[in-house]
Amino acid sequence: MVMVTKVPSRPLPRRPRRTARLLLAAGLTTASLAALPATTAAAGDEKSGGTTLTVAVSQSIDSLSPFLAQKLTSTSIHRLAYEYLTNYDAKDARTVPAFATEWSASADKLTWTYRIREDSTWSDGKPATAEDAAWTFNKMMTDPNAATANGSFTANFAQVTAPDPRTLVIRLKKPQATMTALDVPIVPKHVWEKVGDFSKFNNDRQFPIVGNGPFVITDYKVDQYIRLKPNKTFWRGAPKFDELVFKYYKDGDAAVAALQKGEVSFVPNLTPAQAAALKTQKDIKVNDAPGRRFYALATNPGARAQDGKTFGNGHPALLDPAVRRALFLSVDRATLVDRVFQGHAVEGEGYIPPRFGSYFWKPEGAQKRSYDPAAAAKALDAAGYRKNGEGKRLGKDGRPLVFRILCHATDPNDKAVGKYLQEWWGELGIGLTVECMDSVSDPWVKGDYDLAFDGWSVNPDPDYVLSIHTCGTLPATPKDTGATDNFICDEEFDSLYAQQAVEYDTAKRADLVKRMQSRLYDTGYMNVMAYPNALEAYRTDQIASITTMPEAAGNLWGQDGYWSWWSAVPAASSPSSGDGSGSSSTGVAIGIGVAVAAVAGGLLLLRTRRRATADDRE
Amino acid sequence: MTSLAWERRRGSAARFWKTYRSHRAGLYGLAGLALIALLAVTAPLTVGADVQSVTNAPGTALEPPSAEFPLGTDQFGRSLLGLLVWGARISLLVGLLAAVLSVAIGTLVGVLAGHYGGWLSTVVMRITDWFLVMPTLVLAIVLATVMSRSMWTVVLAIGVTSWPTTARLVRAQTIAVESRPYIERATALGGGHRHVMARHVLPNVMPLVLAQTTLGISTAILTEATLAFLGLGDPTVVSWGGMLQDAREAGAVSSGHWWYLAPPGIAIALVALAFTLCGRAVESVLNPRLGVGR
Repeated sequence: MVMVTKVPSRPLPRRPRRTARLLLAAGLTTASLAALPATTAAAGDEKSGGTTLTVAVSQSIDSLSPFLAQKLTSTSIHRLAYEYLTNYDAKDARTVPAFATEWSASADKLTWTYRIREDSTWSDGKPATAEDAAWTFNKMMTDPNAATANGSFTANFAQVTAPDPRTLVIRLKKPQATMTALDVPIVPKHVWEKVGDFSKFNNDRQFPIVGNGPFVITDYKVDQYIRLKPNKTFWRGAPKFDELVFKYYKDGDAAVAALQKGEVSFVPNLTPAQAAALKTQKDIKVNDAPGRRFYALATNPGARAQDGKTFGNGHPALLDPAVRRALFLSVDRATLVDRVFQGHAVEGEGYIPPRFGSYFWKPEGAQKRSYDPAAAAKALDAAGYRKNGEGKRLGKDGRPLVFRILCHATDPNDKAVGKYLQEWWGELGIGLTVECMDSVSDPWVKGDYDLAFDGWSVNPDPDYVLSIHTCGTLPATPKDTGATDNFICDEEFDSLYAQQAVEYDTAKRADLVKRMQSRLYDTGYMNVMAYPNALEAYRTDQIASITTMPEAAGNLWGQDGYWSWWSAVPAASSPSSGDGSGSSSTGVAIGIGVAVAAVAGGLLLLRTRRRATADDRE
Repeated sequence: MTSLAWERRRGSAARFWKTYRSHRAGLYGLAGLALIALLAVTAPLTVGADVQSVTNAPGTALEPPSAEFPLGTDQFGRSLLGLLVWGARISLLVGLLAAVLSVAIGTLVGVLAGHYGGWLSTVVMRITDWFLVMPTLVLAIVLATVMSRSMWTVVLAIGVTSWPTTARLVRAQTIAVESRPYIERATALGGGHRHVMARHVLPNVMPLVLAQTTLGISTAILTEATLAFLGLGDPTVVSWGGMLQDAREAGAVSSGHWWYLAPPGIAIALVALAFTLCGRAVESVLNPRLGVGR
């Protein structure tokens, strides 16, 4: 599963109205405050009767087709609507039965046999069988358009068959370690075999969407909502809520206001300030759990394709390991965790977050790049990058070193960290231009960047996040797009990757994964700065209990399973919107907003009067 | 230039000031502007460029107002009062430059169209109409999005989208001026296009241009703040609109940190108000037909 999290995109609200322009800017505070009641009122509770769990989301759905979906919101919803062969336990993320009840590998490790459960039916009443699973995998193996999202899992499959409705047999070309972590939604054959072009079919025409997960998707409006009903015949037991709604709030503050008013039950991705304010409020629980993401600095290692051609305009000085080392040595990760994340993160170390204990690796002793600006300056001096009279470091071509960094305009953390980097690297004499864009993928894919802010969610099985740094994922030609994260191609890393992919012994595989991280660290192309926490809040007067993953100190949004929403129990009290418990400080803010509105109104009046005079002119 | 001409100019400047003084609102606006300009110009001495530094921030995140930080701190622990004073520099600079650019384009287009008339006027005015009916903000957002994020982009985006009003006004004034007999005499005496436009038309449309500039500045400041608030400004410079955007991103609205939101908003409103008051006073001084008592 891909879980792309390069950008949880959150487009800006735009209200382009000419007359509103003056007010918009003059009473900006008013505008943003006034917007809150308006949005939330419009998004009010839908149906009385029955319990509804409403979740605020901001990231758009890329596709509802499991063959195309890569974004976190989409893949999370597919977890709810479809079954996968295996699932991860909520407690410790070990593999547990799902669509398959048991599995075994042949002695040569090349043939895997899965026993498919008998008590799973599609939501249209037809039984779900091994035939459906075989069809899904075969489709991905034969149609490149169906392999867009999860093709990495089936690339090594030789043949998939269903000798009987309860048995699935997968034959491999070479051993594959991810066979009990195949994050591929199984789709109903009788529905999907009618689909023509898999690259265009987004599965959002006919509702309810036929599935066999704990929920059934019943309705979807782009960037407005996704509505799901519980699957009453789900083999593990039906979910407790009568309805699950993912409602769109493109503005984080609007979502928090809706939570305060009781119009949504759950809000993910809080800022530290929001979390602090919500902590003190009645009936709201803030969940601050170790995240499954890493947040890193990536340097362009000289973008290239598999045909050997290089492209892009990455800065040549960054090809010098001394320069990269100096840059990373002058990044104070502890300060970033403390200041930017305000303690809601863990300092970055290796690559995989510490939450995945068995694969977590961190550099020790001489290998570690600790914050040391003096050593950084020394390293640059030694490598021949000297400061000129104005204190600017000169490159080999005699011009001052100025790097660009790609930043997601929608991610406040990128901009904040960019400010720190500018100052730290400024001390070294190196300039930094922060280039913030709504969508960074264009320059990224073309290799037109020096540095970039990078981040991925990591699955319990680390295969995918490791695969994106192998040579095999580079684009075929400069014109293509590869699955590669950052154009890294390293022989040693690749050979370790190949070894771990075929290693069935978990301890040995974990050791290989750690060696891969060590190697990645030593190549010096990436600097993992932090593992941000999952910062989220829910209403305890609507949700009585909910399962986090891992059970002790885990997250709720973006789990590797359907546990949180499947397990959520409605609170005894009415689930409909509670009375708006606006705090006194919000009252003060609104009061000030009104004052600003008055000033702005005065301005508007003046302006209209001036217009009148201008019209009288000759 | 003879001393006589200077004498005449000094006289008219004195007359201008005398009439301006009688507009009380205009005086308030001027005083407010002088104060804000003084604060902005002396900012390097009073608060210093260090106020922007995140690595040397003196406070902790989002402190409420206190004796040490009269307006509290932002999410990096920087003093908001210092940032407000420092941000005035960018907000005023961008406002001034954008207004000047916009009025310059408008004047050029207006004088050319008014002077030559004919098909040139028709073509140019249709283009002007097109810009006039396009919502300025939408156009500015598009421009600011496609170009790289910097202060100059914002100046350009505002400048090239807000000139049509000026162009229309200047064209009307140009036509009015050129219908006067002395222009005909100048032409009869051999004055070419350039001479007429530069020596006779331009000085006569200058008062209008001046008033338009003053009024345009407030609009430009507001648009700059709007663009910065929508996240289209340069994120690395401190401006008032940018502060509001930072506040929103930090979640200051829902967490009730009013001291982060209110001061930049009020500052924007006050500066815009001051420029509008001045502009209106200048306008009515230079154009007696607008009357005095308004």
